[in-house]
Amino acid sequence: MTDSFPVLLAVMASAALLCRVAGFTLMRFVPVSPRVEAALRATPLGVMAGITALAVQAGGPAEGLALAAVVGLTLVLRSDVAAALLGVVVVAGLRWAGL
Amino acid sequence: MSGVVFSLDGFRRGARDGVPLAVSIFAYGLGFGLVAAQAGFGVVKSVAMSAAIYSGSAQLAAVNLLQTGQATIWALFAAILVINARYLLFGATLQPWLWGAGPVKAYGSLLLLGDANWLMTMRAIRAGEEDRAYLAGTGAPIAVGWLSGTALGAAAVSVLPRPEALGFDLMLPCFAAGMVTAMVHSRVDLLPVAVGAGAALAIFHLAGPAPAIIGAGLAAGAVAALMHRGEA
Repeated sequence: MTDSFPVLLAVMASAALLCRVAGFTLMRFVPVSPRVEAALRATPLGVMAGITALAVQAGGPAEGLALAAVVGLTLVLRSDVAAALLGVVVVAGLRWAGL
Repeated sequence: MSGVVFSLDGFRRGARDGVPLAVSIFAYGLGFGLVAAQAGFGVVKSVAMSAAIYSGSAQLAAVNLLQTGQATIWALFAAILVINARYLLFGATLQPWLWGAGPVKAYGSLLLLGDANWLMTMRAIRAGEEDRAYLAGTGAPIAVGWLSGTALGAAAVSVLPRPEALGFDLMLPCFAAGMVTAMVHSRVDLLPVAVGAGAALAIFHLAGPAPAIIGAGLAAGAVAALMHRGEA
């Protein structure tokens, strides 16, 4: 590795930038029909469910219980942000308890 | 495209919603700073990476590659493209809403795009958010948290507790679980949730975490498009 850090940084930054703008730019040429709109609306649901499922799979009982608590607390408190913050407290507590 | 709003009010609303996420991103930044410092990057280089790449998973992979001492420029470029390919999806889903703000504001907002504020902005759009400055607003506190966390982590590598001990590593999954619960309004919404979770788990076993997240989004979008009734 003989390249200087600024060169490496520029290469890495351009890759990251390309990902940020390319999907957005390409989408400008896709007509947004109601069907496409339904797909776009469902995409974050799939991503969020995927992130959650992978965290449950990678974690132990503490992580699974905390994420289940977040789902329950969101329904009870009607605030997903409050539920998420409480979920972090729950997992910290369970880990501290050795679970 | 008439009446598209891009106001300080919307920016503030986004910034307020972004603060709880910024706390977790700050902790994640600490974690990256710790790793980068241990790999021999100083504070300046670590913060420069956080500012220029602005994606934790891509930066961690890059540091790992650079540490091997055998990484070529193309390997670095390819690694970041693969890990950040999900941003193609994020950008595409935001486009119909964000484009109304005009190219400068839209592309400027995309510079502050990350996993957490994409989720938050998509939720806000679904709830009727019309102000396009909301996205940049959510990004602002997160950027501050990410950069300050990186700096502190890299500077104080020897004295900090591990962020895992405080549960911060589970912050993004917690937000994801909460938001998906709040966003499901009818039975129709449960199908993309189930398909996304199933696709993520299946693809993870075959190809690892980065393709799993992209696949979850694509699968959920595809099933919603297939199930859509009415005119195509």
